[in-house]
Amino acid sequence: MNDELAWVAQAQQGSDEAFTRLVESHQTHVYNLCYRMLGEPESAEDAAQETFLRAYQNLHRYDSSRSFVTWLLSIAAHYCIDRLRRKKLSVFSMDEEREDGTVFEIADPASPDPEAESTKREERDRLHRLLRDLDETDRAAVIMRYWYDYSEIEIAESLQLTVSAVKSRLHRSRRALAGMWQEEETPLAQTERRRHESPAF
Amino acid sequence: MNHQPFETWLLNEVALDAQQQRELDSHLRSCAYCAALVKTARVLRSVKLAVPAPGFATRFQARLAAEKTAERRRRILGSIFFALGGMLLLGWLASPYLAGFFQSPASWIAALVEMAVFILTTLQASVEAGKVILDVLGRLLPPFGWMVIVSGVAGISLLWSVSIWRFAFRSVPQGV
Repeated sequence: MNDELAWVAQAQQGSDEAFTRLVESHQTHVYNLCYRMLGEPESAEDAAQETFLRAYQNLHRYDSSRSFVTWLLSIAAHYCIDRLRRKKLSVFSMDEEREDGTVFEIADPASPDPEAESTKREERDRLHRLLRDLDETDRAAVIMRYWYDYSEIEIAESLQLTVSAVKSRLHRSRRALAGMWQEEETPLAQTERRRHESPAF
Repeated sequence: MNHQPFETWLLNEVALDAQQQRELDSHLRSCAYCAALVKTARVLRSVKLAVPAPGFATRFQARLAAEKTAERRRRILGSIFFALGGMLLLGWLASPYLAGFFQSPASWIAALVEMAVFILTTLQASVEAGKVILDVLGRLLPPFGWMVIVSGVAGISLLWSVSIWRFAFRSVPQGV
């Protein structure tokens, strides 16, 4: 943390080396947010690079009383929201995605329970597909809450919303996700049941 | 208990005691929607951070260098265009006078000298007039009176500046 403050101070005085250290230190957090928002590795890489570039250009505006990573994630979230609004991306996957939009993942055979592992992955992919149906700002709030464990106050600061607005957005998103999950669950359960039924019936 | 309190607990992620947990478990067995709320929250929390491809920082350094070069180029080109534009505008505005100057330079030089003499004499007259005004005002009020007036004006100016600054720089968070 002290190292980080020192690097920020050095970068503000023009040290590119110090800024590179900050990039190395926070690249995963920024990339993850961009990836969860945009859904494509190429777009996420580009958005993460752009986030660091904007941070570099606006470093003099950074208030050192705030967390540096929160400031970076705020830039990344705003950039991704703008980008999504400009161009509505339809692809949203967690790993590899087939042309028809379904996610293809292979369960790890070394896992103690490959079947359970595979089910978990399917569930995660399913949730990611559902996430793309959320409004851009709602999606950013959900990502910050569940991937970064941010409090409602931190999300409000990052997304420039009021705390009550964040709370209402999170509730709305959770309700929407649960509703969509439930809708998908019902036909799945029916299919599952039919699969075990005798073809004669 | 009806459905609503359970949904509120789940959405607000309330810490439950043993009795409340039992009630919730019982509700979850009969409410598919609340079960989906629990499931989606659990799946959201189970997803790991995505990691960028190796060499991210190196690629950023290259992008930063390219951006700096492009920025430098933009500034140089901007300066050149600005200077050229200024020169063209100046030339266009001055062209009627320049044509007249080259046709009869002597009359132009005489006009310039006349203008310089006029400015100098005006300045001298202004200084003299200022001296007379200060002399008259000094006799009207004692020095203490002038000090009170000047302090009052300075105080009001300070108050005005502070008010403007406070209203202008107060940040308001954006709503939904």
